[in-house]
Amino acid sequence: MNREALFIERAGQVGVTVIAVGTLDEAVERAVELCRERRVQRAALWDAPEMAPIRAGLRAEGVEILDPRGSFETLAHAEIGITGADWGVAETGTIVLASGPGQPQAASLLPPLHLAVLRADRIVPDLATLLELCGPLPSALVFITGPSRSADIGLVPVLGAHGPTAVTVLLVAG
Amino acid sequence: MPDRPTRIDLIRNIERALRDESLQRQMGKAMPASRKARADAAAELPEWESLRSAAAEIKDHVLANLESYLGQLESQVRALGGVVHWASDAAEARVIITDLARSRGVRRIVKSKSMTTEEIFLNPALESAGASVVETDLGEYVVQLAGERPSHLIAPVVHKPTGEISDLFVKKLGVPRYERPEDLARVAREVLRAEFLAAEMGITGVNFAIAETGTLVIVENEGNARLTTARPRIHVAVMGIEKVLPRLADLSVFLRILARSGTGQRSSVYVSLLTGRRRVGETDGPEELHLVILDNGRRRLLADPDLRGALRCIRCGACQNECPVYQHAGGHAYGSVYAGPIGAVLTPAYEGLEQARDLPFASTLCRACADVCPVKIDLPGMLVELRARAVRTGLAPRRDRMLVGAWTFFTRSPARFVLAGSLGRLAQRLLARGGKIERLPYPLSGWTAHRTAPLLASRPFRKRWKPPQEGPQ
Repeated sequence: MNREALFIERAGQVGVTVIAVGTLDEAVERAVELCRERRVQRAALWDAPEMAPIRAGLRAEGVEILDPRGSFETLAHAEIGITGADWGVAETGTIVLASGPGQPQAASLLPPLHLAVLRADRIVPDLATLLELCGPLPSALVFITGPSRSADIGLVPVLGAHGPTAVTVLLVAG
Repeated sequence: MPDRPTRIDLIRNIERALRDESLQRQMGKAMPASRKARADAAAELPEWESLRSAAAEIKDHVLANLESYLGQLESQVRALGGVVHWASDAAEARVIITDLARSRGVRRIVKSKSMTTEEIFLNPALESAGASVVETDLGEYVVQLAGERPSHLIAPVVHKPTGEISDLFVKKLGVPRYERPEDLARVAREVLRAEFLAAEMGITGVNFAIAETGTLVIVENEGNARLTTARPRIHVAVMGIEKVLPRLADLSVFLRILARSGTGQRSSVYVSLLTGRRRVGETDGPEELHLVILDNGRRRLLADPDLRGALRCIRCGACQNECPVYQHAGGHAYGSVYAGPIGAVLTPAYEGLEQARDLPFASTLCRACADVCPVKIDLPGMLVELRARAVRTGLAPRRDRMLVGAWTFFTRSPARFVLAGSLGRLAQRLLARGGKIERLPYPLSGWTAHRTAPLLASRPFRKRWKPPQEGPQ
């Protein structure tokens, strides 16, 4: 199995929805569709060049785009957080997010739905490879493997313990 | 002060646990499920055994060069704008953290799950300094509301049935009675979200600290540690000295074994690599970062060649899940923050064998813990060593000394062994009722406290046994 297929399989097993798309334009379409289905009114979007078409697409739909540099209180009102993903790890179905100016953790943490855009050529086979490649570390490098969960109460797995209830990855062909 | 001077009454605690039907039901359900999850996750990796060896080797290397790696970590964290504090014991750590809270006028604190902060009894100290402290891990939150202590390394509330949590929420939070775990989790999420937004300080533990980069690694499933470190203005991380790893590259081995051993996941949901405080232009992450590096008995343990290996522990909980004694006793019976096989080693080491003298005896030495430990700690060997120390220093129970003394006497010669059998057969004429013995006198009474004793055969084996015929064929 190639890296991409393994990533899709493993991410699926931890409850991540992976949508493979051919181009960034297609990714924009799917992001807009998803927001429409969920009746999203406010979105927290990372400030990154590849996010610009998604921002434009959502604005055209009438979705309010919250300033990613805004406060936690503001971003907590978003129904969806849309971020990039710097890497994917095939073995575990993990996405890796580096925080930075305009790219706060809040976007992948506070809204009930997290949508991440990952380029397929950024998928590495395993953690060891990732740690070799990831270079100088940002203030927060976060590995995300599935939606937030807890089985503390009654040993029953519950999604959305503190973070998102659902994670969707838009996997853009490399 | 909360530091406990009294002896842990393990026997009484276990007696109580065995009578607690809901505890037995909970543990009987949780432990086999956890064992299966771990076994499946380990079996998926053909390299599992070599991962365990690699992890043990890295930990041993760190322990052999501990001060130099800690020094490197300190200078890296400082270079990133963090402040490093050294605490030699629990009291010092409490003073450091409460002073931080007081000097910065902190009123509200959120915490993510940390056994190290449990170990130093941090919450009461912060509360008496005038700050509110809220545990934000779902299980820890329940434990805090109930005024209890966690009973398992990664499943703190494994001892509590859902119905009790429903009642607790009604009583403490004034919410309607919810039965379903997802509803209870939602209630807690809402209450705790508000706490995150209001808190000025976040306190966390540390799973691994990378000396090379000054990175603090925190592993979790819920996202509460991310919120605790991303939102409040001040982040205080508390770590034991043994948590340091040399290089970033060492992390992959440990991340691969930790989640698989603990919960059977390939990876925990969130692994945060935090390198320094908030940087220019960023809007989350702490403005102030404090790292408290705690000794609290660890350097003493490091100097103990027989027990040093216990410092390899990465707190996965696998030894607890696997232990037949822990499964029935539950975590609280061990009377300390660390329970199960690892607790039976760490508690005597940290708090003194005198207080924890019974703990090393709470094991059948079946080696199940050693078989699953991802960092290959020789827990049974250490328990035997602690037992030997208890005997040498006169701390072993009088009953055990009597029994071993009698055993030693009667097995010293064939004649004495025969004598023992004859005496036993004589005695059981008085004790047996209906072909079994319901109650033996002291010092054997422990044997019949929960079961009947079998009778000695009327004709001993050595009289029935015919030696095989000698010679050809």
